[in-house]
Amino acid sequence: MGEDMECREARQKIQDYIDGRLPPRQEGDVREHLGACGPCAAEEADLRGVGELLRRWSAARVGEREQKLSALWTRVQADIEERRKPWHAHLLGRWFWVPAAAAVAVFGLLFYPSNGTRAPFHPNSYDVTVESIESDTATVALVDKGEGLPRVIWIIENGKS
Amino acid sequence: MGSPDPKPWGAVPAIASIAFLLFAHIVVASPDAPVAVDVGVVLASNEGTTMDPALSSIGNQLQSMFTYSSYRMVDRLGRTLNVGETGEFGLPGNRSMRVTPIPSEGSKVRLAVQIMEGDRNILTTTLGLKRGGMVLVGGPAYQKGVLILIISAK
Repeated sequence: MGEDMECREARQKIQDYIDGRLPPRQEGDVREHLGACGPCAAEEADLRGVGELLRRWSAARVGEREQKLSALWTRVQADIEERRKPWHAHLLGRWFWVPAAAAVAVFGLLFYPSNGTRAPFHPNSYDVTVESIESDTATVALVDKGEGLPRVIWIIENGKS
Repeated sequence: MGSPDPKPWGAVPAIASIAFLLFAHIVVASPDAPVAVDVGVVLASNEGTTMDPALSSIGNQLQSMFTYSSYRMVDRLGRTLNVGETGEFGLPGNRSMRVTPIPSEGSKVRLAVQIMEGDRNILTTTLGLKRGGMVLVGGPAYQKGVLILIISAK
């Protein structure tokens, strides 16, 4: 009868024993009982087997879903980072293209590469200062035909023109 | 805890754009800003009576200054040069022209211009022009006429 009580008590404690949740003294009592009682030892072995199966199954499920979980975590982190940004960062990001586009347009107009199809000449001034003028091989003349006409530097190549 | 009201900042893009354009204007108008050098190479001759449509905007001036009957633009060259940077332009008849913007004051640009024929220096000059201004350099013989270079700087 005492042995029956001992088995009943022992089986109630086997799972806690496996999980390491028993106080040292009770753990010693259960270990001693399992060493002496074949049926309880078999029960313990069964429970340990079930626990191992459950662990393997859980690990397998996590492995299957690892990619999805990783992607979900990445999205959560990105959302957290986004919410941490100051509100004006969103505004700057949204409107930054306006000055950027203006910059591209201005520089495009100002520094458009030259080619033979450019706009006709439309000078806004014929005011030209000739600070110095010389030639090693020709005679040069500065011609000014009056307001409204461009100034001309005329090269008279000796013996040619 | 909603998103912040963007209305007080609605004018930011417009202000930024205007500020940028003003800044760009200052940069472009400053004496040390890059200079866009534009060179039209015109063959003037008495062969026919052609006025190249590309020269229509200054055709009257050309005809009132010179006595040639035909004006044909044979090339149009351009470079944007920084102050101190030399741009070389190939011209007909084994000629070349080197243009270097040099430091200036105010709104004018100063250009050091040298025209070579082979190794021979046929013109060295320093010009001061307003941005958008124009000067003509002519005389070198080419084919049955002469070359006239329309030089403008912006």
